[in-house]
Amino acid sequence: MKKEPHSSTPLLELDRLAVTFYTPQGTVHAVRETSLKIQRGEVLGLVGESGCGKSTIAWAIMGYFQSLVRMEGTIRFKGKPFTKMLPSELRGLRGRRIAMVYQDVVSSLNPTMRVGPQLEEVLRENLNMGKQQARHRVIELFENVNLAEPERVGQRYPHELSGGMQQRVVIAMALACDPELLIMDEPTTGLDVTTEATILDLISELRQRVNAGIIWISHNLGIIARIADRIAVMYAGQIVEQAPVKALFRNPSHPYTVGLLNCVPGSTAITEARTKLATIPGTVYDSKQPTTDTCLFEPRCSIAQDSCKSGTPQFFDAGDHHQSRCSYWSDVRPDIWGKNEPVIEAPEQTKAKPLLTVTRLRHFYGREQHRIPFIGPVGLAPVRAVVDANFNVGPKQTVGIVGESGSGKSTVARNVVGLLSRSGGDIHLQGVLLEPRVEKRSRKHRAELGIIFQNPAAALNPKLHVRHAILRSLWKFPKLRGRVARERAAQLLESVGMDASYLGRLPSELSGGQQQRIALAAALAGDPQLIVADEPVSALDVSVQAQVLNLLREEQRNNDISYIFISHDLGVVRYMADEIIVLYAGHIAESGPANSILKPPSHPYTETLLSAIPVPDPEVTPSRIRLDGPVPSLRQIFKGCFFAGRCPRKIGPVCDGVMPPTVANPNSPSHIIYCHIPLEQLSEIQTTSTGL
Amino acid sequence: MMARTHHPSNFFNTVLTASIEQVSPALRALSNGLKLALMTNAGRVGLSLIVVHLTLAFVGSWLAPYSATDFHLEHQLEAPSSQFWLGTDQFGRDILSRLMNGAGSIIAISLAGTLLGLALGTSVGLISAYVGGTLDDLIMRVMDGLMSFPTLLLALLVLTMAPPPEEWLPSWLAWNGLNVVLTIAIVFMPWVARVIRSATLPLKVAEFVQNARLRGEGTLYMIFVEILPNVFPVLVVEVSVRLSYAILLASSIGFLGLGIQPPSPDWGLMISEGRMFLVNAPWVALAPAVAISSLVVGVNLFSDGMRQAQKLPRTK
Repeated sequence: MKKEPHSSTPLLELDRLAVTFYTPQGTVHAVRETSLKIQRGEVLGLVGESGCGKSTIAWAIMGYFQSLVRMEGTIRFKGKPFTKMLPSELRGLRGRRIAMVYQDVVSSLNPTMRVGPQLEEVLRENLNMGKQQARHRVIELFENVNLAEPERVGQRYPHELSGGMQQRVVIAMALACDPELLIMDEPTTGLDVTTEATILDLISELRQRVNAGIIWISHNLGIIARIADRIAVMYAGQIVEQAPVKALFRNPSHPYTVGLLNCVPGSTAITEARTKLATIPGTVYDSKQPTTDTCLFEPRCSIAQDSCKSGTPQFFDAGDHHQSRCSYWSDVRPDIWGKNEPVIEAPEQTKAKPLLTVTRLRHFYGREQHRIPFIGPVGLAPVRAVVDANFNVGPKQTVGIVGESGSGKSTVARNVVGLLSRSGGDIHLQGVLLEPRVEKRSRKHRAELGIIFQNPAAALNPKLHVRHAILRSLWKFPKLRGRVARERAAQLLESVGMDASYLGRLPSELSGGQQQRIALAAALAGDPQLIVADEPVSALDVSVQAQVLNLLREEQRNNDISYIFISHDLGVVRYMADEIIVLYAGHIAESGPANSILKPPSHPYTETLLSAIPVPDPEVTPSRIRLDGPVPSLRQIFKGCFFAGRCPRKIGPVCDGVMPPTVANPNSPSHIIYCHIPLEQLSEIQTTSTGL
Repeated sequence: MMARTHHPSNFFNTVLTASIEQVSPALRALSNGLKLALMTNAGRVGLSLIVVHLTLAFVGSWLAPYSATDFHLEHQLEAPSSQFWLGTDQFGRDILSRLMNGAGSIIAISLAGTLLGLALGTSVGLISAYVGGTLDDLIMRVMDGLMSFPTLLLALLVLTMAPPPEEWLPSWLAWNGLNVVLTIAIVFMPWVARVIRSATLPLKVAEFVQNARLRGEGTLYMIFVEILPNVFPVLVVEVSVRLSYAILLASSIGFLGLGIQPPSPDWGLMISEGRMFLVNAPWVALAPAVAISSLVVGVNLFSDGMRQAQKLPRTK
């Protein structure tokens, strides 16, 4: 799929673009002298951590600036600089010939308008189409982005569509005017991995049909590998490496690129032993600092030399259109950040008495229906968010719970810690029955169960200092106060890689990763036996994600903690968990030891999750098992298999009519699959189709 | 047993931490509001008007050229002149001096009334939202009932029903503006409660509140330490909006003769007295009217500036 760059004028060219914002908080150098070219028909991946200026480039092209800003350098579209264009010409260019898709889908759609008319409006405004013509074109566009039943989708309001469908509508809108350049700013970051995979499939299919240049912005190299022809890696507002995708992955020539590659937990082969992720230390170069005459990556670089501090490195040509802004590019090896060391597996603990036992846990939202004689049921049936979940958590063990949004993962988590009161079933901690509501539980029980939430910014009170969260936990659980408490707090902060100086900060002064560390420190204050981590890394950049994951495992070793680790990304769960539970529509589809789950035979749903993991290697052709059809309503009581409606391996009416049997894997007796298909047959299909 | 011995100190501890923890966020919200307001022209103009009035309130009585209550019987209803800059009223009292003396009381009454109303409304709103359920329904229906009265009617109702301060307070405390303060507070309480309640509802389910629940914090701690600082930005806007209504309400009450009793100068009362001479001596009513409106305009411009800068939604 690799295309040779054309010799003709590029579609879009950034020539030494620099963008500086003047804000009340100071001058922000968001982009520092960046040059880029993109050809028609090419997908350019723009990668880097948050705060490296990727989105600013997109905004500069689209001209979306609200605050005081200075732009230097030139942007040329088909050779013509933006500065030489009339305002009307620019308006026609932006939105029509250059279209953009944003990360936040919800705010891209008008919530008060049905999506069909919304798209028709775009067509009639921009292309002067008639009413009938626009309506036909919308249906065509919806078909283009693989929306099933395009006529009916058009009649719905944005909130009636799932996240993936909304993103498809937004993409259709961007494609409406047949753009020559499409900018996609982290279009899949807010989505489930399974949905993300289908959007990636869609884009790789579209690019062959649409013949537009695409700029794809992402912080995750795993995603980019699947989609891009060429990759530009950004750091601190500069491009540090630029190369065709295969060359970049085969032979990364900038230490930063290597660091980013190491961070993705999916980079090791599935069956391989779990490894400690090598991470990039430190944080992104502060964008308020002026550009200095050094390599800006030098403070974090593992192979930095003294000469890096004198003189900005220029681009070095590593051959085959491969450029790196590192003076020592030829010394860059995949292991410069340290090897991804194998982790010593904890000894098998199946014999040990379980710490937490969950039996037939149910949680229904809403009241039971009333049945009035001669009229029938009144009101809606309750949402059966979790139905009869059974699992154990052993001491020092990590149990991963994986599933899409709406599968009931968080509901399980909140029932365990007592934020929600369960509708049925029992939860025992060390053999003692736990009260459903946390308010009724004893101090000892509260201290022994900690939780870490997905969004660290929301988990800390934004108006109170970091001190508050930690000291208050120390006061509430071990009853520490005064100097003793402050010393213990400092100790806790050190154990999560920070120091006592952070106690006086406000959460808003910390980065996402730091906030999550504080949340962990506060959870550790009670000296807990079990921490429930509810998507603790989903809101973080991959580089920070790796740091937090390593930290979680380190704390587990040091303090003998068990985790219930929840994520929608099987790649991350695989890295963390000893045992995995796969949840679908409130039902456990498969559970067992991690090693056994990841190998065939798997439940067909697990199989789709596995194939959705982004693999940061362009030469691996990912298996494509995708889910289609809508997510089933959780208000129904399933007669047959809960997954039958979307199962890619459905065998027939037995799936719809009969509850699936509980089948144990003969090779690993604690590995249980709920499926009608005999295991040998599952095993056979999966080995041949996925090549695992 | 441990729990019992700990309980009083625990409660004290809660109250203490609550008050200490409140100081810095409150100051931060306030200074933030000031800073934001000064970023806009409206804010700058508003603030300078407010500063002029505040100066009058604090040192007006010393600066005034004459006593506010002295009759100059040979100068009745005189037009502004070099001797009496803003003219005199029907008893020959210097209007400028009366204005300068009256500034203190109207600002004190409206500010105290606003703050008391805010305190009441905030407590009611926070408790109603956090506790929820039947209590929430009950409280909010009572608030709805209060809100259904026209403002001035409710104010008159409270004023006529409340006993005069001399009857229930020691004489050194029995300031006759006190009833007006209470009235303003009661009139404002439901509006503030509603705004604070709606600001609290999303915070109640926020993850940091869930974390506090897991720590085993009590209701009081939750409301006043965890949630209150997060509604301060709303409160700051509310203060500035409510204040201008309070000034108008206080002057209306004065106009109707139910506020500060004569002969103490009260701007509302001055207008009421002056309206009889509107044709022959318009300055008697106009001067206090301009004083009131400039104060209200100042406060409004200031709060507008703050909102412009903060882009917070406008509340009634």
